[in-house]
Amino acid sequence: MSQQRPVLELENVSVAYDSDKGPVQAVNRVNLTLYPEEIVGLVGESGSGKSTLAYAIMRLLKGSAYLAEGTIRVMGQDVYSLSKKELRQFRWSQMAMVFQSAMSALNPVMTVEEQIIDTLRTHRRDMSLSQARKRAEELLHLVSIDLKHLRSFPHQLSGGMRQRVVIAIAIALDPAFVIMDEPTTALDVVVQRSILDQIQEIQRYVHFAILFISHDFSLVAELASRVAIMYAGRLVEVTKSERLQLLGNHHPYTEGLLRAIPKLTADEVTIEGIPGYPPDLVDLPTGCAFHPRCPNVFADCMIDRPELYQMEDGLVECHLFKGAKEVHYV
Amino acid sequence: MSESPSLVAVSDLYVRFPIHSKGKKAYITPVDHVSFAIERGEVLSLVGESGSGKTTIGKALMRILEPTSGTITVAQRDVTHIRGNALIEYRRDVQMIFQDPFGSLNPVRTVEQHVMFPLRKHRNLKDAALQEALDNLLERVGLTPVAEIRIKNPHELSGGQRQRVAIARALAVNPKFLVADEPISMLDVSIRAGILRLMNDLKADYNLSYLYITHDLASARYFGDRIMVMYGGQIMETAKSSELVRKPAHPYTRLLLAATPGNPVRQALPETSNAAPDLLEGRKGCPFADRCPFVTEICRETAPQLLSVDAAHSVACHHPIV
Ligand SMILES: Nc1ncnc2c1ncn2[C@@H]1O[C@H](COP(=O)(O)OP(=O)(O)OP(=O)(O)O)[C@@H](O)[C@H]1O
Ligand SMILES: Nc1ncnc2c1ncn2[C@@H]1O[C@H](COP(=O)(O)OP(=O)(O)O)[C@@H](O)[C@H]1O
Ligand code: SF4
Ligand code: SF4
Ligand SMILES: [Mg+2]
Ligand SMILES: [Mg+2]
Repeated sequence: MSQQRPVLELENVSVAYDSDKGPVQAVNRVNLTLYPEEIVGLVGESGSGKSTLAYAIMRLLKGSAYLAEGTIRVMGQDVYSLSKKELRQFRWSQMAMVFQSAMSALNPVMTVEEQIIDTLRTHRRDMSLSQARKRAEELLHLVSIDLKHLRSFPHQLSGGMRQRVVIAIAIALDPAFVIMDEPTTALDVVVQRSILDQIQEIQRYVHFAILFISHDFSLVAELASRVAIMYAGRLVEVTKSERLQLLGNHHPYTEGLLRAIPKLTADEVTIEGIPGYPPDLVDLPTGCAFHPRCPNVFADCMIDRPELYQMEDGLVECHLFKGAKEVHYV
Repeated sequence: MSESPSLVAVSDLYVRFPIHSKGKKAYITPVDHVSFAIERGEVLSLVGESGSGKTTIGKALMRILEPTSGTITVAQRDVTHIRGNALIEYRRDVQMIFQDPFGSLNPVRTVEQHVMFPLRKHRNLKDAALQEALDNLLERVGLTPVAEIRIKNPHELSGGQRQRVAIARALAVNPKFLVADEPISMLDVSIRAGILRLMNDLKADYNLSYLYITHDLASARYFGDRIMVMYGGQIMETAKSSELVRKPAHPYTRLLLAATPGNPVRQALPETSNAAPDLLEGRKGCPFADRCPFVTEICRETAPQLLSVDAAHSVACHHPIV
């Protein structure tokens, strides 16, 4: 896998928001690489910086948000060195995003067909109306929606169907890489499962990589091959999904999350919470940002930010792993 | 069962709401002839998809709404249609914790004001006794340091802390029974376990019974002694939690289990369509018939009765999987 050219490379990416109290460090020196057709999960609690990172990758940061440092490359192309015009071409055709609030991603006064055709024709000026119509049909077919809904308005569709339409629009221009920001969070478990199955099904025919954002560990572990865990703007661990079945050899935060989730069928039915609450991103704890809540904390943790250490099949940012190989980006 | 009567006994509960369908007046029935009981010190988990009628059952139990028909008996008292003082008194025994910990708190009241009010009103505490009860209660639900937290407004608290305030306020009246309506679904993963554990510990300390409403089978199993599965306003299956998860007998329970993340067996979803259930009054047959892989003629004609498969396990299905 690693011989292939990556679709996404994040090097030391930091994103901040200006606020009255000072800069909010929403994303803090993040490193991550995605390879073609790979599904990587990004999990973290509310406010940990997942959506901010996604917007930064798409170069869609708004308001007071800015890329404070680092490099973001998609298909080898530095996203922030593109001109405005190049960016417009690049976005949606090379990289696309399914937004967290999918319902508001659709235009309430346009039919499904009009919205798909609109996306296609804005980016492919040379596409004729009849070609676009044909493509819209293909896309609906791909996400298992009856073609009669081409003429439906968003409010006439169920939540699950709307989400499928949004996914169809995201892949309309055959991007190499799609970010999905909590695409199923608002849906019932059965609908959620059928959409996840659908995503995997589509991926067999259309080849694209996915950065799948969620706060649901069990769900991400089933879908993705690797999972990145975010805490207070930092990627504290990147691991193979299978390893999330097992306790031990994880970042203490990951370990805490694993102990906090009730398992559906395991014999063991005790769970433990992580004491305390996530930190204020304006005033991050010194050293390791997790240290006020960490059961393994020791003196160094309060002073030095830990390095990223290479594990057999992942990365961990924690002083406990000192002695393992350090990873230096840049 | 016959030795000591249940704390909560719901019999043939029916709730309907008026809607307008094609210009004509019609009704939906999100609670359609539902019967169940909750014993003292027991936690009953109520599971089902959104819109299946879970919250409506919780509100009927709280008597936030009045049932159309059927009876609700709590501590041997028929509370189905009580009003006025009787209702105020009833709310001392029964409290509810809501999904949205922000919406259920008053933004201009401090934590101590929220909790002090019921302590004063329902328990007639004042002065030093009131202060002591308040501090003890906040401490008990993990709102520490108490002195600091007491004077905060809801917007200065995290979601988990707000939910703890809601729990403290509910406990302030010394209730016998709590309805907890998706109390953790809006909280972060690392915070959820703490709230679930707190509710679990309080159960023992206060000899509380709960109706725990959730759409998450894993937490339903963790917290509930029994699980009751609802679909389209009707009860599909009830069993001891571990039994329900290990030996589901109803096709809808099997579908829920198959869809729940963390299930070691990955299989295609056992459903024939993803149509939403019909809640219109007067519908006939099994509410799950449109999606059920085992549907037969009789399913579309006659609604199955909830029948025991063994002592603590009942199923409403013409063709249960046993
Ligand atoms: N416009 C803004 N101005 C200032 N701070 C912001 C702004 N938008 C987000 N933030 C802050 O940046 C941090 C990261 O937010 P972000 O939306 O990326 O989190 P998230 O991980 O996607 O959370 P969720 O799971 O709730 O979607 C949070 O602390 C948030 O309060
Ligand atoms: N006050 C009301 N008036 C009309 N319809 C209602 C009212 N409350 C709930 N409903 C409807 O009843 C059904 C069940 O709702 P609810 O009990 O909230 O389900 P759940 O909690 O299982 O998601 C839904 O279709 C909902 O729209
Ligand atoms: S660096 Fe220290 S405080 Fe941070 S997670 Fe590791 S042991 Fe805990
Ligand atoms: S009664 Fe019939 S339709 Fe309903 S769940 Fe049982 S087999 Fe399926
Ligand atoms: Mg987000
Ligand atoms: Mg509800």
